Amino acid sequence: MEPYRAELDAQELAWIQAAQRGDREAFGRLVERYQQRVFAQVFRLVRRREDVEDLAQEVFVKAFRAIRGYNFRSSFATWLSRVAVNHCYDFLRRERSRPPAYAVSAGGQSDQPLDVVDRLESSEQDPERQAVLRDLVGKLLARAPADDRVVLVLKEIEGLSVEEIGEILELKPGAVKVRLFRARKRMLEDWRNLRQEK
Amino acid sequence: MRCKDARAILIGNEADKASAALLEHVAACPSCQAYARDAEGLRGGFRAFAREAVPEPSWGFAARVLRRLDELEERGRRANFLELVGRRVVYAAGVLTLLLILALVLPASGPLRGPTTAQLYWAQPDATLVASNPIFPDETGEARDSNRLAPVVNSTEGKQ
Repeated sequence: MEPYRAELDAQELAWIQAAQRGDREAFGRLVERYQQRVFAQVFRLVRRREDVEDLAQEVFVKAFRAIRGYNFRSSFATWLSRVAVNHCYDFLRRERSRPPAYAVSAGGQSDQPLDVVDRLESSEQDPERQAVLRDLVGKLLARAPADDRVVLVLKEIEGLSVEEIGEILELKPGAVKVRLFRARKRMLEDWRNLRQEK
Repeated sequence: MRCKDARAILIGNEADKASAALLEHVAACPSCQAYARDAEGLRGGFRAFAREAVPEPSWGFAARVLRRLDELEERGRRANFLELVGRRVVYAAGVLTLLLILALVLPASGPLRGPTTAQLYWAQPDATLVASNPIFPDETGEARDSNRLAPVVNSTEGKQ
């Protein structure tokens, strides 16, 4: 049962098999192929530019140590995403000292632009509005519990399907849908709290 | 349609496929209209977030990963070596301690069980201390003089 073996190109298959035998040069080729993807995923999950390179490096180190366990039942990209997501998830849980609360405090955050809601009403194509939206979602994600953050990033930012997310998180599609629904609901409540405060 | 059901659809995975009933409800319910507007705003935020430029791996990233793997392996090998050496030192110390204890407890030699080395050492009478202590008398009230000789009977006196 190795459904993804046939889908891999011959070169990548050879690299994976060589890496499974401990060949570091072959693993280096895989790093070169997937580094961009891993960087993007790590950055979107942790949102800290200064930590991205270290975390990505740790992800590849973990992947090398675990590559013998890759059994071609999912694509290599999905398997690597699973390693990256698990590593970032651990990092987020370790780093998070405050409780996973969505509610915006009454005083608001000092760095939150006060006219954010007005700007949100402006045109969709307005670059300023885009920047405000991006920052706002970034802050909402930063406050979100690690579970919500991972599932929302994979779905809304990375654009993965429910099935793909299920493979990465090792969950059934139904469970992914439930998590997504709850995460969106909580984040929207936070978003609405922000608007009401305004 | 109830507000709760309408909102569940608005933030669900099928939000794009709005039914006529949903549209009708939202059109008639100001609260759900606001909710729909917020949900759309959040979706727009996610879209803007997804377009954000992500950091690029710096030049030589793959080489650094491989170097790190080498370092970690070297460190692991060193740690294993130290662990092995440390374990052997502990075992050797244990064996030496055991031998020392056996040497003190068991008889020095021979098949017959005799006093141990430790017993021999501790059982020595402290003769020098007793003999050289003329101050304290013994039970008879006389100072003990171990050097005093028994009276010698001169056998030739009677004959004379």
